[in-house]
Amino acid sequence: MGSSNSTLSKIPNVDDLMQETGFTPAHIVRLYDRFQALDKDKKGHLSPQDFGSIKELALNPIGDRIIGAFFASGQETVDFHSFVRILAHFRPIDKNRPRDPNVPEPINSRTSKLRFAFQLYDQDKDGKISRAELLQVLRAMLEMQVTEEQLESIADRTIQEADLDGDSAISFDEFRKSLEKVNIDHKMSIRFLR
Amino acid sequence: MPRKKSDMEAKMEDVGIEIDGEVDSDSEGECRRARGNRRQTNGRAGGRRGKKAASEDEDDEDEEEPAPKNRRAANRKKAAKVQDSDEESEDDAPKKRRGANKKKAAKVQDSEDSEEESGGKASRRGANKKQKEAQNKEKKGDAKDKGKDKGKDNDKDKKKKKKKDNSNADSEEEEESLSEGEMARLMEEVEEKKKLISNMRNKPWRMNRRLQNLKEAQQFVDKFEGALGKGKGRKLFAYKVMMMKKWVKFQRDFENFKTACIPWERKIKEVESHFGSSVASYFIFLRWMYGMNLVLFGFTFGLVVIPEVLMGLPYGSIPRKTVPRAEQEHAMDYSVLMDFNGYCKYSVLFYGYYNNQRTIGFLKFRLPLSYLMVGVGTFGYSLMVVIRTMAKNADVGGGDGEDGEFTFAWKMFTSWDYLIGNAETADNKYASITTSFKESIVDEQENQKDENIHLIRFLRVLANVLIISTLGGSGYLIYFVVKRSQEFATMDNLSWYEKNEVEIVMSLLGLVCPPLFETIAELEDYHPRIALKWQLGRIFALFLGNLYTFLFALFDEVNTKLEEEESIKNASIWAMKEYYANFTANNNDTDATPPPISPADVIRGPCWETTVGIEFVKLTVSDIQVTYLTILIGDFLRALIVRFLNYCWCWDLEAGFPSYGEFDISGNVLGLVFNQGMIWMGAFYAPGLVGINVLRLFSSMYYQCWAVMSCNVPHARVFKASKSNNFYMGLLLLILFLSLLPVVYTIMTLPPSFDCGPFSGKQKMYDVIMEAIDKDLPAFMGTLFSYAANPGLIIPAVLLMVLAIYYLNSVSEAYKNSNMELMKKMKMQRDEEKNRRNNKDSTNQVMKDLEDLLPNRSLIPPPAPETSADNKSDAAGKSPKVSGKPGAAANGVNLQKDVSLATPNPRAAVTRPPGPRGPGPLPGNSLQVPGHGRGRGRGQPPRR
Repeated sequence: MGSSNSTLSKIPNVDDLMQETGFTPAHIVRLYDRFQALDKDKKGHLSPQDFGSIKELALNPIGDRIIGAFFASGQETVDFHSFVRILAHFRPIDKNRPRDPNVPEPINSRTSKLRFAFQLYDQDKDGKISRAELLQVLRAMLEMQVTEEQLESIADRTIQEADLDGDSAISFDEFRKSLEKVNIDHKMSIRFLR
Repeated sequence: MPRKKSDMEAKMEDVGIEIDGEVDSDSEGECRRARGNRRQTNGRAGGRRGKKAASEDEDDEDEEEPAPKNRRAANRKKAAKVQDSDEESEDDAPKKRRGANKKKAAKVQDSEDSEEESGGKASRRGANKKQKEAQNKEKKGDAKDKGKDKGKDNDKDKKKKKKKDNSNADSEEEEESLSEGEMARLMEEVEEKKKLISNMRNKPWRMNRRLQNLKEAQQFVDKFEGALGKGKGRKLFAYKVMMMKKWVKFQRDFENFKTACIPWERKIKEVESHFGSSVASYFIFLRWMYGMNLVLFGFTFGLVVIPEVLMGLPYGSIPRKTVPRAEQEHAMDYSVLMDFNGYCKYSVLFYGYYNNQRTIGFLKFRLPLSYLMVGVGTFGYSLMVVIRTMAKNADVGGGDGEDGEFTFAWKMFTSWDYLIGNAETADNKYASITTSFKESIVDEQENQKDENIHLIRFLRVLANVLIISTLGGSGYLIYFVVKRSQEFATMDNLSWYEKNEVEIVMSLLGLVCPPLFETIAELEDYHPRIALKWQLGRIFALFLGNLYTFLFALFDEVNTKLEEEESIKNASIWAMKEYYANFTANNNDTDATPPPISPADVIRGPCWETTVGIEFVKLTVSDIQVTYLTILIGDFLRALIVRFLNYCWCWDLEAGFPSYGEFDISGNVLGLVFNQGMIWMGAFYAPGLVGINVLRLFSSMYYQCWAVMSCNVPHARVFKASKSNNFYMGLLLLILFLSLLPVVYTIMTLPPSFDCGPFSGKQKMYDVIMEAIDKDLPAFMGTLFSYAANPGLIIPAVLLMVLAIYYLNSVSEAYKNSNMELMKKMKMQRDEEKNRRNNKDSTNQVMKDLEDLLPNRSLIPPPAPETSADNKSDAAGKSPKVSGKPGAAANGVNLQKDVSLATPNPRAAVTRPPGPRGPGPLPGNSLQVPGHGRGRGRGQPPRR
């Protein structure tokens, strides 16, 4: 208790942060430890290189995009608050917990989870996943044995499946629809230890 | 009261989710846990949330367990922070946590108390309904859980409010146990909820609402059912919950353990990730085969071979266990042993070695009986296992019929496993994603193919003609060779080729024909999955032809041996008499018994059973050799050459002609199946064959895994194997039946050799059973069996079985039909739902009006408009829609009826040009427009 208290007191505005993200103090402490472990030079913020030391991300085909998602556009660093805010996307959706109707959609709702995933694919931030963007991901995800032609047909096919309004790109809504039956709450949740 | 209320609100705003979260996680955490467990006990209660939810709940528990201290501490802190309301702090206080159930009970009872004041239960129910309605209203659209949360919130507020009314009484009562009346009432309540749960199905409500009510009722029941017991009862309940949790955990661990125990699972998964499910299916089949053979091996060695070794007469004691004098010289030569002659022939591996003593050893082990039983039991067990596996596989089939939409999108967006942190695993994952994409591509191509049907038909007929002629040719070739070998059999000093001609020709045919078939099959242009089946069927026909030709040749041989035996039998008896006569004549000493003839010198019959056994063992061994050599040369050497000669070759070996081999699924599966057929046929005459086979399967698992990973490339057209490999099983069953026939025929009709094997001296092999019945079982059993064997009893029994088969068959047909019907219905429903999603408001609006029929709707203020984020994002798109709505709501009842009778898919809504909506939203999402709620609210009062 004491230790967590002292850690908490080190973080500025911790109450706001907790309110915003829905993390418990124990979570915050935990995340703070993690943050400091990643921040090797103790500079108080993280750079993309710091994330590179996470094996899971290094191996991920779209790992750099995930890392990129932590950094607001144009910024090279991420401080603890943004770090926690980003991670809050992955907080499991709490079941049966009443919430104040006036509070806006929490950061870990299904929709924001999906939006987070969507942004990983939507690199130019125009609100649509275009064919070119799909192809980029496909190239990263598949081995060399697939021909370019096949890649293109996969991308076309994906768009054809998901595209409902015929603009040959996947908008967020279409993205959401196509993943409707996927248990995103389960897939995009990290069980943060307490 | 008002002050407190506002306090509450202020605080809620202050600490936001936090408080809710913590307060609730305390009490509800408890009940959730209980619920999680209970769901397992009473099964059906899981309802729609199903297993998944349950497992998630369990996950939650796990999370919570490690650090209860922390939590409690956190709670305490919160409590300190929130001191303005004593209820809250009481709720939070950790010491209360244990008694949460009880407290809850008290709370509810309190609220009931307060309600009684204001009109008793009935009114309460009304209030409940109101609440529910409010909730329903709020959660229109897709933010379902949101709505639920909110509803709870209201609920909670109310509770708190009520609690405050008599908070004094509260704190006192909490410490006491419940009074009798309250208990009874609570019990009644619980019962009622339970009834509601079981009747939920029949209620004419919308699904959403049903779900909502179901959840509420379940929560209620879970919360209070356990609390009802007093003192000891509650302890018992806690204990039960704990044990249940432990049990669940144990079960999960045990599952993990079981998975870890599956042999070769990792190897197979590795192969699967690189070569697709079709290749993996072969290895899974191989593993299954190994398991089955292990059991057969256990039977044969445990009940026949080992007893004989331990308790039977030793080698050299009697003629059948001794190498004849003439052969002894070469009996240990390597070439002789490799032909399974010499010492091999006179060993436990073969039928002839066994003695016909009725019992052996001090255990009085009835070896001949056991031998026959094991021979028959092998077939019985195999049949049972194969059929059971087939039935189980067929079961799996229907399962979660993938609905075929969004396959690529799903693969694209969700196939990566974000927890992979190991480079090798990541490689495997890359490979498996690639293969799965390829599989989908092939399926897709196959679906979209439209071709010249006449050309295809012509080519298919042509291919079949070619293949049938090939089959005929190979059949004739084998016939020819077998005839020739019978001529050779009478001659001496044959060359090695002439001796082994049949085996060589058969192996060659087996090598050449399958690739030929494959080439011909290219003409047909089937989907690879179907092509594989055809290929399998054809090679099967080829092998079957070979096998049966071989069998007929063998039977010829056996028949000649039988004739030969007759004369030898007489000769040996005559020789024996001669020997004794000479002995007495020479010695003139009538008292002295003549020394026995050395077992090696006795004239003995040909022992056709051992001959048959040797043939099968030879065939199996040569099959193993051919298979292994083919892999070594055809795959490994080829891969080596292609890989290393590529540096100094005039064309690209890897991309061009030889390239790397593909894994030949059909050939390997059939090889396995036929090998098994050999084992089944040969096992009776050569018990050692099963052991050889187990070794073979074991080594081939490693060998083939290595070969496939190191020197094969994935198929050009990877395809998904059908989930159940029932086709392989079907082939196996057929082979099993076909190999059963000759063995049973020999057991039932041919007389066993007179001087070798466990049945020597009997008229027929099955006489052993008669003997056992006569001598070992009480007399009445004998008569019983004789009645049972009466044709008058057997024919009706057979008839009955035929009838049963017919009946079951037609029943299963009917089930299949209804299954198809249901499947179609489900598909239709899905399509309908999809359509509705696409133009949601027109249909949904009407559906929703049904909800409005409920009373008291308008009393609850309309929900806050900005309930979900999508809504906000949709704001641009909804304006054109809204205008028409309230009118529709006004005549809700009739309209509702009309539409529900017609198929609810009016596509009218789509007629608007999609242009102005801009990128994101679809018409369907513009549901939760503030105007709706109010419109409906307005529409209602006149109706009530």
